[in-house]
Amino acid sequence: MQSIRQDWFSNVRNDLLSGIVVALALIPEALAFSIIAGVDPKVGLYAAFSMATVIAFTGGRPGMISAATGAMALLMITLVKQHGLQYLFAATVLTGGLQMLIGWLGFAKLMRFVSRSVITGFANALAIVIFMAQLPELIHVPWTVYALTAGGLGIIYLFPYITKAVPSPLVAIVVLTALTVLLGLHVPTVGDKGQLPDSLPIFLLPQIPLNLHTLQIIFPVSLAMAVVGLLESMMTATLIDDFTDTPSNKQRECMGQGVANIVTGCLGGMAGCAMIGQSVINVKSGGRGRLSTLTAGVVLLILVVFLGRWVAQIPMAALVAVMIMVSIGTFNWGSIRNLREHPKSSSAVMLATVAVVVATDNLALGVLTGVLLSGFFFAHKVGQILRVRSVAEDEGRMRTYTVTGQVFFASAERFIASFDFKEVIDKVRIDVSRAHFWDITAVSALDKVILKFRREATEVEVVGLNAASATMVDKFAVHDKDGAEDLLMSH
Amino acid sequence: MNQENKVLACVDQSHFADFVADYAAWAAQRMDAPLEFLHVIDRHPEIGSGKDHSGAIGIDTQETLLQQLTEEEKVRTKAERERGRVFLNRLRERALAAGAESVDVRQRHGELVSTLVEQERDARLIVLGRRGASAESSGRDIGRHVERVVRSLHKPILTVTDAFKPPQRVLIAFDGSGVTRRAVDLVASSPLFSGLEVHVLMSGKTRADADKKLQEARTTLESRGMDVVASYVPGDAETIIAQTVRDRAVDLLIMGAYSHSPLRTFMFGSKTTDLLRSSTVPSLLLR
Repeated sequence: MQSIRQDWFSNVRNDLLSGIVVALALIPEALAFSIIAGVDPKVGLYAAFSMATVIAFTGGRPGMISAATGAMALLMITLVKQHGLQYLFAATVLTGGLQMLIGWLGFAKLMRFVSRSVITGFANALAIVIFMAQLPELIHVPWTVYALTAGGLGIIYLFPYITKAVPSPLVAIVVLTALTVLLGLHVPTVGDKGQLPDSLPIFLLPQIPLNLHTLQIIFPVSLAMAVVGLLESMMTATLIDDFTDTPSNKQRECMGQGVANIVTGCLGGMAGCAMIGQSVINVKSGGRGRLSTLTAGVVLLILVVFLGRWVAQIPMAALVAVMIMVSIGTFNWGSIRNLREHPKSSSAVMLATVAVVVATDNLALGVLTGVLLSGFFFAHKVGQILRVRSVAEDEGRMRTYTVTGQVFFASAERFIASFDFKEVIDKVRIDVSRAHFWDITAVSALDKVILKFRREATEVEVVGLNAASATMVDKFAVHDKDGAEDLLMSH
Repeated sequence: MNQENKVLACVDQSHFADFVADYAAWAAQRMDAPLEFLHVIDRHPEIGSGKDHSGAIGIDTQETLLQQLTEEEKVRTKAERERGRVFLNRLRERALAAGAESVDVRQRHGELVSTLVEQERDARLIVLGRRGASAESSGRDIGRHVERVVRSLHKPILTVTDAFKPPQRVLIAFDGSGVTRRAVDLVASSPLFSGLEVHVLMSGKTRADADKKLQEARTTLESRGMDVVASYVPGDAETIIAQTVRDRAVDLLIMGAYSHSPLRTFMFGSKTTDLLRSSTVPSLLLR
């Protein structure tokens, strides 16, 4: 009871106001992303309404805004082009199902493998992709479009100096629309891009044949959308956690995204997820509770259903200006300043994430690349922590090698190379009691070393192997027992 | 002296805190226990400040926003902390003057109930004002946190009103149930009550075993050499207890509290709340 009241009604006035601001900021995005995905604007608008409304109840992060997003829109272009709208709705429902499954399995915890650099890369890639999606609207168009876009950007960034009480993107849209209508400019408008909603959305199951072939078509798209949607949502949730200094329930957020996508698919909307830009706007305007998200969704629907005639008159240039603002706000400019200061490996991970996304238009692939690369770099770094020292004993008849550090797949080669097999000697003692053997590669490297010495007719004695291989935690499964730390740190 | 046995006095910045301090000092002194004043600073991160409805985001908006929110919070918290510190120190002086020996002060961030639940572990007695800061203006007769606090804690809680008088005569509202028998044992064994006159009052519906139960209570208390007045008055418990408290000039009421579920309380009201309202003396509540 206490937390319901706190989540919903502790910040009513601010939540309502910021919800309205966000609703106004959602319209251009929903329109623009529908156009990216190649569907009617009403698909994006219905999606924005339903995502925001449902997630207000089911989400795990109060105050976060979810709607139709660019990251998701990019993944569905091919599906829409080849198979049509009904398949998109089915894929959206399946995305929701997968997200619920992922949430239920507790995969939100896997987010810890996604490093800071990958997250920065993700945000930067998203910003670039949003920006590039605006380019088609700026190529082969009359000069008036450029003038309008520049004017729009000017209003968005300069108007807050006059007053911060009115959302400047909305002012830009109203002013540019009025200009085009009054001056009778011939520029592309929202109405040219497809059908706008003229009624409330209705609940319908997607009209597709339910068979394996359909699944084959939609499953890959749904999986990618599920992963990207959750990634962006988790990232945005972390951002809001930082802003508001309050915790969020990540698992509930995963499940909630799933429910929201299932409902959205059935209401004739495209898949969506949390939005970085709009969530920032929400927090900035004072939104903190679930009421802000709900207000955004409901106000958006009221606006588009009842003002649909006017929405059709909005010139595309105005939307482009708003989207450029979103892309500037999403991009992490600090990361460019930090390129020189940060470790090269971190920068490489960030840049690789961006490059893969821009090349493939698939944020999931970019994140995968980034995560794998950070893994490689980490293994490489830890592999450096290996020292083999040796000292001759017994008047040159015996040599003792002392191994300290981490032996595993990335350092096994170096481990072998640090032994001198050509030395003419009777006996070799290898003291590994201060080393950690992490995997099978390490053990077989040691075997190899022993074999090589035997070939030279050198007797080999290995000291402390038990202690060293105790770190092969999989095999001995000590990691979940008491005393595991002592065992690992004792040598 | 053991830190685990401290008297925990929960205060807010109202004039009621003075009486909490007086009673806490009295209890700490009699029990030879350390006293700690706890002031909970309730932060409200769920309430936004939002003055900027421009909806525009630009270069480094995220970083700027995070910085700005942190800064606002910092300024607010600092002011609260400073105010709280001055006020706690005044209470500390007051308790020391009243004779308490070891007095500690502590401020914590967080929500009142969850903070108390954390702090309860080391406490032996919790002293709480029956009304607080908001009563100064709203004039309500029982604080809005009292029921929630009492329900979530398990240690004895002394709720005090707005006057201090060292208790001479205590009344146990007795009904023979487990919690009231514990109350009798507590009064018999605690140094807090040694030398005080104890009244044991049973009321409510006519019961066959009333005399026997009362006799047991009397024996327990008298074995410790206490002056006991045990009586049984049939009738409406709330009225009779309140009446007796006035007639016999009782200055501390001991009773079990909130043994029924919140739902039942919501529908039928709570005897505990009614009694806290109708009796004007401090009450020791047992759970």
